[in-house]
Amino acid sequence: MNKQKTVAFKTLGCRLNLYETDALASEFAKKDYRVVDFNEKADLYVINTCTVTNQSDQKSRREINVAHRTNQEGITIVTGCMATNYKEQLGKNEAVDYVVDNDHKTSVLSVAEAHFNGELVDVNNFEANLFSYAPADETFHTRSLIKIQDGCDNFCTFCIIPKVRGRATSRPPEEIFENIRQVVGFGYKEIVLTGVNLGRYTYEGYDFEKLVEEILDIPGDFRVRISSIEPDGYTDSFFRLFNHPKLTPHLHICLQSGSEEILLKMRRMYTAYFFKKMAHQLKTLHPGFNLTTDVIVGFPEETEAHFQETMATIEEIGFGHIHTFKYSVRKGTRAERMPEQIRGNVKTERSEAVRKLADDMKLAYRKSFVGKTQRVLVEKLMPDGSASGFGEHYIPVLIQDSGLKTNTFYEVHIHNIIDLEEPVLAGKVKSSTEEFAKFNVKNV
Amino acid sequence: MQTNGKHRLRDVKFLTESTYILQMDRNGLEFEAGQHILLGADGDLNQREYSIYSGNNEEFLEVLIKEVDDGDVSIKLKDIQPGNYLQVEGPLGFFSLDEKLIPNHKFLFVSSGTGISPFHCMVKSHPELDYTLLHGVRYGKEGYESHHYDKNRYIKCTSGDQTGDFAGRVTDYLLKHPIDKSTICYFCGNFKMIREAMDILDKKGIPHNQLHAEVYF
Repeated sequence: MNKQKTVAFKTLGCRLNLYETDALASEFAKKDYRVVDFNEKADLYVINTCTVTNQSDQKSRREINVAHRTNQEGITIVTGCMATNYKEQLGKNEAVDYVVDNDHKTSVLSVAEAHFNGELVDVNNFEANLFSYAPADETFHTRSLIKIQDGCDNFCTFCIIPKVRGRATSRPPEEIFENIRQVVGFGYKEIVLTGVNLGRYTYEGYDFEKLVEEILDIPGDFRVRISSIEPDGYTDSFFRLFNHPKLTPHLHICLQSGSEEILLKMRRMYTAYFFKKMAHQLKTLHPGFNLTTDVIVGFPEETEAHFQETMATIEEIGFGHIHTFKYSVRKGTRAERMPEQIRGNVKTERSEAVRKLADDMKLAYRKSFVGKTQRVLVEKLMPDGSASGFGEHYIPVLIQDSGLKTNTFYEVHIHNIIDLEEPVLAGKVKSSTEEFAKFNVKNV
Repeated sequence: MQTNGKHRLRDVKFLTESTYILQMDRNGLEFEAGQHILLGADGDLNQREYSIYSGNNEEFLEVLIKEVDDGDVSIKLKDIQPGNYLQVEGPLGFFSLDEKLIPNHKFLFVSSGTGISPFHCMVKSHPELDYTLLHGVRYGKEGYESHHYDKNRYIKCTSGDQTGDFAGRVTDYLLKHPIDKSTICYFCGNFKMIREAMDILDKKGIPHNQLHAEVYF
């Protein structure tokens, strides 16, 4: 009898990668592979890489080495954006057995099966398909990620993604609806729409707004979250969709810079003025809305004055969270050819300044939820009996009650905010009478 | 229809010593006026973005190229002989006209150098357009087929000689002339021109959602 094979996954980067890893892991599990922790000895390691920054490349390389060190007898398949961008170099790396580019990522299981059957494997002989992932019934997450789109045509001057993810392609709406119906049937309570540039979704008369509108009409007790989007092209009617109880009041809209000049050099297709107006419109329509963003500091030719414009824009808008990136050169992009690259220490100083401002804003924003109610989807049960999850605004909540179940919604009254690795809302299920003083947490 | 394939080069037409038009087979490529393609020599990994110069009602595809001294692509493209193939990907981009606005709006196109390319395409594709085209160049000889435009709508702004319709930069022109606030404005060319021109029109009260830019680097 053949021994059951083991497979370990590591995902770097974006939610799209998370979705794709979830789908791959589910396929392996259905083929009787045992999915084990990445730090364990496994027959097969699948590393779904990212290349959006230099740091992402380094992390991806590090994980390849980890896999190789953990079991030199195992095989290592490297896929994802870094695999696409550095296909040739990775092919020469003795720690890597197969390099599977994004176009062929759906074939990772087939590549592994062919290998274990002793066949000669040429990855390019497998079908290239961006959307043929089977719906995942068991994943590494409580939320089910749904891929609706891939690729980007925006060609921002700093960005390597159009090169590694290819041109914008949208998944047929019926496939998306069916995928959602299936995962809701599996019991998922939250679905997250993912893609590279969601707002550019277009398929035979459907745009992103119409797609979301119809997704919200799918029956079932679940909520819908939209992952990162670009700021171009949204209207009042799109923002009004957030009146629907299933659509969570959170958007991660990438600002990147608050300087008009830098935005133009980044070839972003909006102005800081437009972004501010849009944010104002959104927050007016939906008070308490959680608007989060990405900011790049140290873009070529970014002066101190440009940076201060970004800081002022951030302060004016007010974000629930900011992911700050220090600009790093990506080979083959226009920004690589720009003069006046910014020194590392300047980028670090600017990144630190944004981080500090962002932390202050995050705390102030989260404090505004004390005394209010959040509908929390429990993701994890703690040893002390408490539970953690996320409210509809995508803020972490610690529920200081016992007897709770994972993957279940609870109406939670927020009593306090506590400092764990970040400010976390703390509360109790509305009907609960447990004493919340028993929890040993530090008040902020 | 998008293409990701080879297009046969038909002709290379030099407009100045360093600026030329590549005309190639269209191969059924459908595009919106103002979009660009990724273009390179066949088999070369290096590609650059070029706005489509020809109209979307023409049976060929053209791009307008300025040779860059240390460029990886523009120098190679210049030397390709008709009959050979180019690698084309696209069309790409969102720098295009809202066709609903064409019948009842005035359009202002502000360009510098080869940044005139998408406007040439727009004018060829939509002969009914009510437009004014400002073209900023150093010398009058860099007008790049200026006879293709209605002479009452085309204003060549020359900063290096007096042979244009206006002596000075396009930004000088904008400062000196009133612009109707309902005008839809498009900018294409170098970063500095676009930044200054947008700033001027902003100060003249043109709403932000009527300003559209495509930056050339």
